[in-house]
Amino acid sequence: MKKILAGAIALALGAGAHGFAQSLEDLNIQIHGYATQGFLYTTDNNILTTHSSDGSPAWTEAVLNIGAQPIPKLRIAVQGRFFVLGNFGNSITLDWAAADYKADDRFGVRFGKVKTPSGLFNDIQDIDPSYIWSLLPQSIYPINSRNSILAHYGGVAYGTLGEGGKLGKLEYRGWGGERQIGSGDGYLLEQTEEGILAPNGIGGATYGAALHWRTPLSGLMVGASDGRDATWSSKITTGNGALAGTESIAPFNEPNYFALYEKNKVMVAAEYGRLPVSVDLQFTGLPPSYERIDYRNWYAMASYKLTSKLTAGAYDSQQVNHQAVLGPARYSKDWTFSGRYDFSQYLYAKAEEHIIDGTGIGYDTDLNPNGLKPNTKLTILKVGVSF
Amino acid sequence: MKKSILSSVFLLAASILAVDAGAQVIVIANASVKASGVSKDDLKDVFTGNATTLKDGSKVVPVLLKDGPANEEFLKAYVGKGDTAYRAGWRSLVFSGQASMPKSLDDDAAAVAFVAHTPGTIGYIDKASPHEGVKVLDVH
Repeated sequence: MKKILAGAIALALGAGAHGFAQSLEDLNIQIHGYATQGFLYTTDNNILTTHSSDGSPAWTEAVLNIGAQPIPKLRIAVQGRFFVLGNFGNSITLDWAAADYKADDRFGVRFGKVKTPSGLFNDIQDIDPSYIWSLLPQSIYPINSRNSILAHYGGVAYGTLGEGGKLGKLEYRGWGGERQIGSGDGYLLEQTEEGILAPNGIGGATYGAALHWRTPLSGLMVGASDGRDATWSSKITTGNGALAGTESIAPFNEPNYFALYEKNKVMVAAEYGRLPVSVDLQFTGLPPSYERIDYRNWYAMASYKLTSKLTAGAYDSQQVNHQAVLGPARYSKDWTFSGRYDFSQYLYAKAEEHIIDGTGIGYDTDLNPNGLKPNTKLTILKVGVSF
Repeated sequence: MKKSILSSVFLLAASILAVDAGAQVIVIANASVKASGVSKDDLKDVFTGNATTLKDGSKVVPVLLKDGPANEEFLKAYVGKGDTAYRAGWRSLVFSGQASMPKSLDDDAAAVAFVAHTPGTIGYIDKASPHEGVKVLDVH
């Protein structure tokens, strides 16, 4: 009797374990991740809130992605990140967490905290293993504001229309929701160093659309996107909390126009974007102060795969703030030369040299107390693993 | 003069044979896939995550080989990328929340077994490998 009972329990456990394993397999659970370590050295000025003029290893990222696909049309995934770059980050944050329902190639929708598919590279700008560059062109993809512009809370609808052939294919994305610029974001860095704090960050409604036309010319895509951000406002303080007030940003658009040609060993891309922003600071009992920013940004880049493991590339990235006074702080012109070596599918190294003219991007005053020199050379070495 | 013409013909023949090396890989699919053939454009779109259906409406799921000559040859001939760049492209999709990584199988036998038993799957193997239980798609 005991033997029968033991046999029945063993059979039940075996069946249960098999069923559990089967159900996990049915969920198609995947775990992926990557980690990178960077080293920065500048000839002049300290950049990206690091002590780069002494050489700085203060750039570490680690990402973990867990996804499941319980049915063919539904995927659920979450991605977390540890990020530190100088004084930025040093915390674990939620990159995105979303459910994605893809009815077919023509229509799908994802919602939750989702990547914002604006511009050419916005939704992949934080994915270091996917490109040759250590830093993407900072005129359009500033790393010190990356966490804020990468994703929004809300949804994205997407799909592809057309069947190729003479007309090519048209990919569309439309998004809407709410964006939050964190209190430690690069956008708020200058005013934070001036003693104006926005402890809860700033944010508000955002929506937009993007079109990517995969042209009949194999490998060529041209596209455009435009995002509209509604009035953003936030409470601010200064004088160690002695004065309280409100920071408001008037509604603005963020148009981007871009093209990408990618075929065999060659990649060529270019993008133009504009970011016009009007900021209003109002402290109780004091007259308001206004600041208007009008960034015109562009870059052109190319890379070539020299061997199966070695890729080389270069880009020219420029930004001009048309509302700023004349001088080096009004612009940034960055000639960059890059190389990437893939030791295997999982391990790679990058080396990059930036020749930067102008101080419009990437600098803070705390780490450059004696002022900024107009030109800097930045060398970056980076190693990464991914699985 | 004749010698130079002859050498040119030999060179041309050699280059044609070199291009034809792509034909050493065959594309296989589960019997449930309606299509009997697939265009190179469709194949590229499916294997780069840009499409999940073929022109005739067949819904397909790509299956990869982990490595090896057939894998390199397929990617070079039909996707236009090396293995490292190809997987970097998929990682972009995975880490931006746009797709799941396709299943990667150890060898041709495992790919044939998986495709044979999994509806909608499409993969590739060396032409010389046994492939009973799967249909072979004509690539045009």
